[in-house]
Amino acid sequence: MPTPGMNTVKPFLNYLQKFGKISETEFNQWINPYIKLRKFEKKDLITKAGEVENYFNFILEGLVRKFYLKGKSEINTQISLENHIIHSQESFHSRTPSEYSIEALEPSTLLSISYDDLERALSSNMQMEHLGRKVITFTLVLKDKWQMQMVKLSPRERFLHFVSHNPELMQRVPQKFLASFLNIKPETFSRYKHLIKAYSKSLN
Amino acid sequence: MKKVNDIPKSIITEKLAMLLNAFMPISEIELQELLSYCEYRHFDKGAIITHEGETEQYMNIVLQGLVVKYLKLEHHTPVLQLAVENNIVTSEISFLMRTPSQVFLEALEPTLLLSLRFDKRQQLLNDFPKGEVLSRKIMEAMYVRKDERKNRMKKLTIREQFLYYLNRNPDMLQRVPQKYLASYLNIKPETFSRLKHLVAKKSKRA
Repeated sequence: MPTPGMNTVKPFLNYLQKFGKISETEFNQWINPYIKLRKFEKKDLITKAGEVENYFNFILEGLVRKFYLKGKSEINTQISLENHIIHSQESFHSRTPSEYSIEALEPSTLLSISYDDLERALSSNMQMEHLGRKVITFTLVLKDKWQMQMVKLSPRERFLHFVSHNPELMQRVPQKFLASFLNIKPETFSRYKHLIKAYSKSLN
Repeated sequence: MKKVNDIPKSIITEKLAMLLNAFMPISEIELQELLSYCEYRHFDKGAIITHEGETEQYMNIVLQGLVVKYLKLEHHTPVLQLAVENNIVTSEISFLMRTPSQVFLEALEPTLLLSLRFDKRQQLLNDFPKGEVLSRKIMEAMYVRKDERKNRMKKLTIREQFLYYLNRNPDMLQRVPQKYLASYLNIKPETFSRLKHLVAKKSKRA
């Protein structure tokens, strides 16, 4: 399989450069050979619960959610768009079956690297290890911060915090998914939407 | 409780070697080098190890004792972690992002920590060839453990969570005040008292 062109993978290089030094040449040499581009239609399952997650994914295009089943209802734990990482991390790192499923909410293109390939890429040199550690540390911090918010903030505060930080997701994601993601009842979520108007008025 | 001076150095190194070898092979020489970046810290029972509002300076491995991590909110103090021997404990966000800690770390027993200060960690990552790999592996493991706990909270009933935890940590009922355990397992104190009979009955039958 030919390696993807720089124009296609550039967003991932830009993303990595936030964490440490890596040149285009180094990227082409150390990472590009391991990259697979995977395309999914809307509603395609990217990862199935019960299977071991084999890929680390970076979203080049589209919108993707991660969820698990509780009884008959789906609980969303992550909703991400372009330039974000999404995979079933616990399964990926521990090589055990995934508790989560991952689904495309829009037609999506993922930049994916398999577990073995990622280990190979990271262990090839210290600079790569350094980058890998930085990215993993960053995702751990994000997760911790999110959990802290869920514990510390009231549903109303969670809602306001989320809309003010993620206006694009508000536009693109069906409301029922967002409500579940924020752990807010759908009725309450609808009611809170009025807060946005009041909030933007108060800013003017 | 023994003091650190009473624990032979060889036992500490042995424990640490086992812990680190789970992540990657480490030679005796490398281990000694690693230890030269670390320090031992002693805390009395009840001592605050990290305060809310201060920037976390250390990443710690519990060599002896018990550390509780909690949030102090207006009406309650949710317990986020109970770290025993060989567990890693730190105020992660604060340590990694250099921001004020949102949590407290407190010693629930006389506690001995093997601690790596932030600046020493940076040195270690620069100078010690295996530092990066080891650090990445440890981060991954912390990630997995966090996720596993979250999954259990979601999937198991309260009763199942209670039994799961106490079957794996039978001594915690003696070591940790009940209100902390109840909060850690996200169980109401009344329910927790009721569930305790399950453990008592089980051990009688056994």
